Amino acid sequence: MKRGIAALLMTIAVVSSGLSVRAHHSFAAQYDRDKPITLKGGITRIEWANPHIYFYIDVAEAGGAAAHWAIEGGAPSTLYRAGWRKDSAKVGDVVTVEGFLARDGSKLVNMQRALLADGRNLFVGNQSYYQKGR
Amino acid sequence: MRLARIVVAMCAVLLLVAPAAAQSAAPPDLSGFWINQYTPNLADVLGKQPPFTEFGAERWRTVDTAKDPTAICLPVGPSRGFTAPFPFLLVQHDKTISIMFEYQAIWRAIYMDGRAHPDDLADYPYFMGHSIGRWEGDTLVVDTQGIDERSWLDTAGHEHSDKLKLTERFKKTGPDTIQWTVTYEDPVYFTRPWSIERTFTRGKPGDRVLPYTCNENNKDVEHLRPHQPNLNYKHVPEPPPAKKPGGR
Repeated sequence: MKRGIAALLMTIAVVSSGLSVRAHHSFAAQYDRDKPITLKGGITRIEWANPHIYFYIDVAEAGGAAAHWAIEGGAPSTLYRAGWRKDSAKVGDVVTVEGFLARDGSKLVNMQRALLADGRNLFVGNQSYYQKGR
Repeated sequence: MRLARIVVAMCAVLLLVAPAAAQSAAPPDLSGFWINQYTPNLADVLGKQPPFTEFGAERWRTVDTAKDPTAICLPVGPSRGFTAPFPFLLVQHDKTISIMFEYQAIWRAIYMDGRAHPDDLADYPYFMGHSIGRWEGDTLVVDTQGIDERSWLDTAGHEHSDKLKLTERFKKTGPDTIQWTVTYEDPVYFTRPWSIERTFTRGKPGDRVLPYTCNENNKDVEHLRPHQPNLNYKHVPEPPPAKKPGGR
C-alpha cells in the first residue's frame, strides 16, 4: 500500500515535473513508473552533456561497500534557462535522489528530485522557461 | 463641371494606386527568438486520435516508442521541431526564411522566391523536408513535402509516410506571439487532412541558441527497452461525410 502511494506520488511528480519533459524519446521506453526509488550518496562525477545530463553517486551498502549509481536529469539547455550551471553541484556533494528505476535492471535512475544538504533541489528544470535558479 | 472632372480624375488615380499600395505592403517581421509550446502528443491537442486509415491505425496500435528516431539522434522532422520543448531562431529575408532549431541544432530553409518543389524531391527526401512559402496577406503559408518517412510527428509515436505534406500558417497575433497552424495530409496514414494550432512566444532578450549536440553523451539508447503503449487501441473509422442535398 505504502509502495502504491509512493508510486502514485511519483507519477504525479513525473506529470508535473519539468524532468518529465522529454522530447528525445518516451519516458516509459527507458524507465518504470511503477518502480520509484530513493537513494542517498556522494557525487563522484557530473556529465553536463546532451541530450541529458548524467551524474553518478556512490551509495553505501551493508558491509561497507559502495554501489555506483547513474542518475539521469534534463537537457543542459533547459537546466541552464532554469538557472542551473554545470558547477552548481560539485563532486563530493551528498545528494538524496528520488526517481524511477530503469526498466533494464541497471543501476540507473531518472531523477525527479535531488536534494542537496542545503535544501536546494538540484538540477530540476521545467518547461516554464527562465525559472530563477535555486 | 470642372470640379466634377477633377473628382473623377482623382478617383481614377486612387483606383489605380490603392491595389498596388496594398500589394507592396511589407509583410510582418517574424524574425526573432521564439519558444515552442511543448506538445509531446498531437492527439492531446486534437482531442482524439487523427483520422487514421486502417494502415495508420495499426501502425499506431503497434508502435514501439523505444524505436523513436530521435532516440538515436536522427533529425526531428518539421512537426517535432516546432512542438519540442526547445526554442528556435527565425531569420526572415525576402527570398528565404531560415529557422534554426536548438533541438538537435538543425535548420529549415523556407524558399520564398516563387520556386516549386524540385521534380526529383521524392528521390532525395530530407528529414526536415523541402519548404516553399508565400505571403497571404499578413500570414506566411508554407508547403513542405519530401519529408523522410523515418521521422515521427511527435514523441508519442505518430508516424507518417513519404507522402506527408505539411501546410503551415504563421500569423503574428501580437508583438511577442505567433499563431502556428499546421495541417497534416498523408493518404497512407490519414483519411483526410487534419490540423492543430499552437502558439510561439518570444524569448527573453539576450537569450540564445544553446548547445544541443545529441550524440555527445547519448547513453539513453543502450537502456531503451521495447515499449508498446497502444496495444489496446481500437480503431473506429470516421463515418463518411454526409452527402450534400442535391449532390450525386
